[in-house]
Amino acid sequence: MQGSASAGEFVFEPPATEPGPSVLYDEHVRLTSKSHIAAFAGYLMPLWYSSIAEEHRAVRERAGLFDCTHMGVLEVSGADAAEFLNIVTTNEVPSLKVGRARYGYVLDAAGNVLDDIIIDRRRENNFMVVVNAANEPKIKFYLHELMEGRATVDAEQDGGVGYAHRFPQGRARDPMHDTSRLEAPTNGGHSPPYGLRVAVWDMRDPNRARDRRVDIALQGPASMDTLARLTDDAAVVERISQLKSFAFLEEQLAGIDCLICRTGYTGSTVAFELFADPKQTPRLWDLVLEAGKPLGVVPCGLGARDSLRIEAGLPLYGHELDGKFNISPFGAGYGWAVKLDKEFFIGKAAMQHVAQTYDMEVSRIEMPATRGVRPIRPDDAILDKRGTCVGWVLSAAKVDEKQYALAYVDRDAAQEGMKVGAYYLARSQSQVEQGRAQAADKGQKLTADLAGTVVSRFAKF
Amino acid sequence: MAVQQGLLYTKDHEWAKVEGDTATVGITDYAQEQLGEIVFVELPKVGKEFGVHKELAVVESSKAASDVYCPVAGKVAEVNSQLEAKPELINGDCYGSGWICKLKITDKKSLADLMDAKKYEEYLKTL
Repeated sequence: MQGSASAGEFVFEPPATEPGPSVLYDEHVRLTSKSHIAAFAGYLMPLWYSSIAEEHRAVRERAGLFDCTHMGVLEVSGADAAEFLNIVTTNEVPSLKVGRARYGYVLDAAGNVLDDIIIDRRRENNFMVVVNAANEPKIKFYLHELMEGRATVDAEQDGGVGYAHRFPQGRARDPMHDTSRLEAPTNGGHSPPYGLRVAVWDMRDPNRARDRRVDIALQGPASMDTLARLTDDAAVVERISQLKSFAFLEEQLAGIDCLICRTGYTGSTVAFELFADPKQTPRLWDLVLEAGKPLGVVPCGLGARDSLRIEAGLPLYGHELDGKFNISPFGAGYGWAVKLDKEFFIGKAAMQHVAQTYDMEVSRIEMPATRGVRPIRPDDAILDKRGTCVGWVLSAAKVDEKQYALAYVDRDAAQEGMKVGAYYLARSQSQVEQGRAQAADKGQKLTADLAGTVVSRFAKF
Repeated sequence: MAVQQGLLYTKDHEWAKVEGDTATVGITDYAQEQLGEIVFVELPKVGKEFGVHKELAVVESSKAASDVYCPVAGKVAEVNSQLEAKPELINGDCYGSGWICKLKITDKKSLADLMDAKKYEEYLKTL
């Protein structure tokens, strides 16, 4: 593990660890064959239970339940928690109302995307931050290094000017290595001025004394009625049904304390994430499935999660964000979540430049997937109508008789409604022998194998 | 996971059914189960010769493209062109209507390296 301050880039080598069971592993083994369970972001997770296509359909027509207990859940609290998050993330934090959630990014000082996150404001000085499972160790370490004054805050003005003085060495609380009672550090007489009073806690930590949380997601039109079956309290049902997108409630479902947030990763307009104690979560999982059974609710694996988010146009870190093309929030279609009018946030200078200069962006492309049509795959080339390569497929998924690609393409070549082509890269030695290219360069002339159309960047269901 | 008696198997989960000097080739129940819903099969050309372990076909599911390696040296005599319109036959009946191609065996010695059903079952237990 190493944090580097050179040119504001934050470098992190995750520790090599054996994948462990998720909180819901026993449930998965009961519901599907072990051959459908694979290592993902350090956890043994279900790829599918019945089939990807069946689970995808269930979420669109009924509802599906997803194990998201691998997602990182951090508490950021203390008198300066809002200011800390406002500096560390790209979206506006102080204006976020209690009971509301907001999407944003954690950048390093060079402007690289370290993660995309959702911030839930639970109280004035208490936030729950949900981070990607694969990025959780990195984000924990990054926040720690920032608080210890060891990561670059402002690449242009480090060392006491700009905002770096808000992160003086030894001022803030060591977030993950302090297991004492939650208590925001105070500005004692022996401490230097300016330090932010903030603490960061891992809410999934089994050693945490109280308020532990892991995430499961119930997504699709039947999810509201399913939740309603988990409580006898009509007032709770009413409050859940009034919940707006990116708003949350803290209620009991079947006697279990739940933070119920109207968010998700499937494009469903009726969608919830439930954050509960890891010890209670297996029971909550079983109860949701039982309550939802008459409504056709099924458990869903990572396969359907991927095809649903691709169909909806939602980015996956490492593919449509960051990754080998170093895709920025602007390139991903989320410039609105980067508030350049904020006085400061880490990576702002780089984002100001990117906002003026970015020339490729993520597009959603629809293509046929009728019988016998080969699936498009990451790295396949996207061609304009003259057969010139204008970009590449990042992710793709088959949905019934169609397939959707999220592709990184020239901005002027991928406006909604434009006709494009796809070229399959060689996937076997025999295809190479037949002259099929193994890689495509931008500007290269190729013959399209499949015709497609650029559709709206996002889709709601 | 179904293993059919009377067939020969590879460690890469192909099967071969040898009748005289012809081998019918497909992928095993374990392989189709791992791949999930198969949506596309690239068949070899009739008349083309393949050595042992050469890439004979490509089977693509909604999540991955996977090579099918030639279990025995031979020349493609016939392909299961039904798979072009119905690739899911491999999921439903991998040892029957989901066969991929028939090879005219050119080197019978290459059969010696294949596992019988019992050995393949034991091999599966180690995975």
